[in-house]
Order: sequence, then structure tokens, then C-alpha cells
Amino acid sequence: MTRTRIGLGATGVVIGGYGAFLFLSRGREHLEVLMWLAAGVALHDGVLAVAVLALAAVAFRVVPEVARAPVAVGFVVLGTLTLVALPVLGRFGERADNPTLLPRDYTAAWVLVAALTLVAVLAASFIRARRR
Amino acid sequence: MSGLRLAPPTEADFPSRLRSPSVTSRVGLWLGISFGLCFLTGLISHYAQNPTQPIPFPTSPSWGYRLTQGIHVVAGTAAVPLLLVKLWSVYPLLFRRPPREVRRLVLDGLERASIAVLVAAAIFQLATGLMNAAQWYPWGFSFRSSHYALAWVAIGSLVVHVAVKLPMIRSALGADVEASDNDRPTAVAPGALSRRGLLRTTWLAAGVAALAVAGGTVPLLRKVSLFAVRDGEGPQGLPVNKTAAAARITDEMVGADYRLEIVRGDQRVSLTREDLVAMTQRTESLPIACVEGWSAGAQWTGVRVRDLLDLVEAPAGAEVEVTSLQPSGPFRRTILQGNFADDERTLVALALNGQALNRDHGEPARLIAPNRPGVLQTKWLARLEVAL
Repeated sequence: MTRTRIGLGATGVVIGGYGAFLFLSRGREHLEVLMWLAAGVALHDGVLAVAVLALAAVAFRVVPEVARAPVAVGFVVLGTLTLVALPVLGRFGERADNPTLLPRDYTAAWVLVAALTLVAVLAASFIRARRR
Repeated sequence: MSGLRLAPPTEADFPSRLRSPSVTSRVGLWLGISFGLCFLTGLISHYAQNPTQPIPFPTSPSWGYRLTQGIHVVAGTAAVPLLLVKLWSVYPLLFRRPPREVRRLVLDGLERASIAVLVAAAIFQLATGLMNAAQWYPWGFSFRSSHYALAWVAIGSLVVHVAVKLPMIRSALGADVEASDNDRPTAVAPGALSRRGLLRTTWLAAGVAALAVAGGTVPLLRKVSLFAVRDGEGPQGLPVNKTAAAARITDEMVGADYRLEIVRGDQRVSLTREDLVAMTQRTESLPIACVEGWSAGAQWTGVRVRDLLDLVEAPAGAEVEVTSLQPSGPFRRTILQGNFADDERTLVALALNGQALNRDHGEPARLIAPNRPGVLQTKWLARLEVAL
């Protein structure tokens, strides 16, 4: 396995090194890209992960034990979907001359998905409570 | 959580047994698969947009690029929940104590650095990819060259990461999901879900995210995908990427004085729209497949490009420089490779789905070729010049 690992590691360094070469030789605005790279990590590790920890701590106190699993499932599904949908929810790329771009009412769509998630979480909690 | 404390947390502050290599490796496997799919389809897309292609990009199947770019965006979107759950499962390791012995400290530092590169590149790729699909560009750098370079960085650091973690991955994937052999000693508290429950939730979240955008390219899901950037609708039944107004196309440019120039050296043919209509008309069903991942099929009618090239006696396999009327833009002038120029499905389209081309679809004439990125399907055609 050691040989496999050394081979893999060397391959990875070569592939990543080629990426670094491409980045440095072809692109411009290197500093801005580096800032975006660092900001992504800082936003995840310093903001998103901490916010999730805080929410989990609150949920642990507020949510009855029987509803914890459904709430966790609903949170993961709706939370990640919301992050995926942020660019369309904010309509940042909208253009007045092109109604075929971002054609939907994404906020209404999000409210619908959130309502469906809420109903599913409540229904699952209710069923679990009755089974006990 | 032990009240207010200013010291940073330690690994012991994260007691959930859900944060286990057993979960990390299973989610990581699927994350690796989705990144692999994104990388391969991304390489295809990058190559398809290259002006010079030592190995000609194939013209068949006509829906090939539609498929690969659809996979690119759907797999990237599904990777968001996978990446977030995976990072959640290893978050305590961020606070692990560095080893004291120098050699191990150096190795630990190298591993942390490789993971920092991997996480930074992974977040960058997913974030800029999603933003690009929604045409949101709050940056000054080139999306294409940065997304391409960092794809190599992400995959390279991913391979390094797999090499470092290989014994752990093999052990965790080989054991039962509830096994605790590889766990941190303090990770013993039951979570809100079982590990199987968390994994199923993760697959569900990835599936929901994929479904939420897949309708941008899969006609059957048009109404299901609530967060797709396109719904398949638009003038003449087709979405528009760049409008005539955005490309600064004026009435004069496409009016009675419009001419399509076919040029080869000294030979020059100048055609009005009526001249083009008078030539043999062909109808082809070809998709518009955008680099941003949306696509839609359509029926195009117009003159075969090869018929036009014959007017200036262009030899078979000749490359053609295609110029648009639009005054500026990175795709104003593009290269139509010889195999695309000679393909009998490649048209100078004058009509779309049975009606004369809408201004936003390239009136009076546009290029449409099989298996080609949408940005290279030049609208408002001004000139086809055969390379000598």
C-alpha cells in the first residue's frame, strides 16, 4: 500500500502543480482569486460552521427529543438547498432585457419548499411520537 | 458547550459520534465521484471551446455537449450538500493539537496545508460555478481561466488527500458504518440521527439539490426544477443567453443593407437575406447547449454552411473564421473547425421552429452546428472567412 500511496501522492502533486502553473501563467488578477479562495475557507470555517454549531445547540434545548431526527433531516436538506439557491434567490445576475434568464419567482419557490419541509418534519415527528 | 470561554475549542468539545471517519469516507467517496465527473466534463467543455484542437472535437452525437455540460452542472450542484456534510464531519480536526516531535509536526503541517488547498479550491469551484450559472459575476478575474486552473488544483489536492488518508479510507469503508475503530476517542455521544440516518439524509439533500436545477437541461424536469436558471421557454420556444440589445445590435445592422460575406482570399461573395432564402433550405433538429449548463432542443432551417463555402471553392476540411455583427465581446470572432464546417448538419440558420429568426436568436442569420458549446453558435452572422 505504501507504493500505491506514494504513487498517488506524486500524481496529485503533479496535477495540482499543473493547476498552479496554469493559474500563474494564464490568468490575471491573481490576488483577487487568492482572496476569493481564502474568503471561501474563512466563510465556511468561521461563519457557516459556527452558525450550524450554534443552531444545533439551540435546537438541542428547544426541540423535543422525538422531533430531533426529523428536524435534523429537514435542516440538512433545506439548509444546503438554500445555499445552492442563493445566486437565484438574490437575482444578482438579472437583466432587464432578458426575461428568459432567471424566469421564475424563486422566493415563492423557496417558501413552497420550506413549507413542504416543515410539513414533512411535523408529520414525521407526530408519527414518531404516536409510535412510542 | 460550557458557557463563555475565550480559549479556542479542542477536539473534545465535539463529542458526537456522527463526526466519524465512517461517515466522512462514505460521503467523501461520492464527493470524489461528483468532483471526478465535474473535472472530466469540464475538460471536455474547455477543449470544445479551444480555437485550436489538435484532435478534432467530434460533431457527433449532436447532443454530446448538451449531455456532458448538463452532467457538469448537476454533479457540481449535488456536490454542495456532500461537501458541507463532509466538512461538518471533520470540523473538530481543525482544532486538533499539533504534534510535539519535529518530524511529525512537519508532516502534520504539510497535511493541513494540502487540505487547506483542497477545501479552498473545492469551495471556490462550487461557489463560482453556481454563480456563473446564474450569470452573477461580482469579480474582476476571468471565470473560465480561474475555474479551469483551480479544477486542476482541486483534483490534484484531492488525489494527495486520498493518498494520505488511504489506510483510513480502506479501513472505514471496509467496516460496518456504526463501527468505531477509527473514531476520535472523545466522539462517543449519540447524535440526533444514526450514522445511517445521516448518510441517507446526505444522499437525499444531494438528490434534492440535483433535482432543483436539472430541469435547466432535462426537458422532463422543466416544471420540477424550481431553482433552475432557465425554464426552457423564450421567444420562439427557446431561452436567450445574450439579447440583441446587450450585444448592441441595431436596426441598421440587420435591415435592408444586411449582407453575409463569404470570403476566401481574393474570392468574395456577398449575400442578402433574400439570396440566402433562395438557396436550398435544410432543416435540422439541434440543441443549444450553453456553457452555463442549460440546454434546449430546437428545429433550425437555413443554408448548409458547406453549400456557402462551395461558393468560394473552399477545400474540404478548411477552417472558417466566423464573425458576428456585434461590435465587441469575447465571442465576436470565433473559429469553426474544418470538421464542423463540413458537417452537413451545420447551418447558417434563418428560421427557428418554423418562424424567421427572432432578433434575440440572431436575426437575420446565425450559425448552428451539432455538438458545440452555445457561446460558439454565433448569432447575427456578418462574415465567414475561409482560412488559407
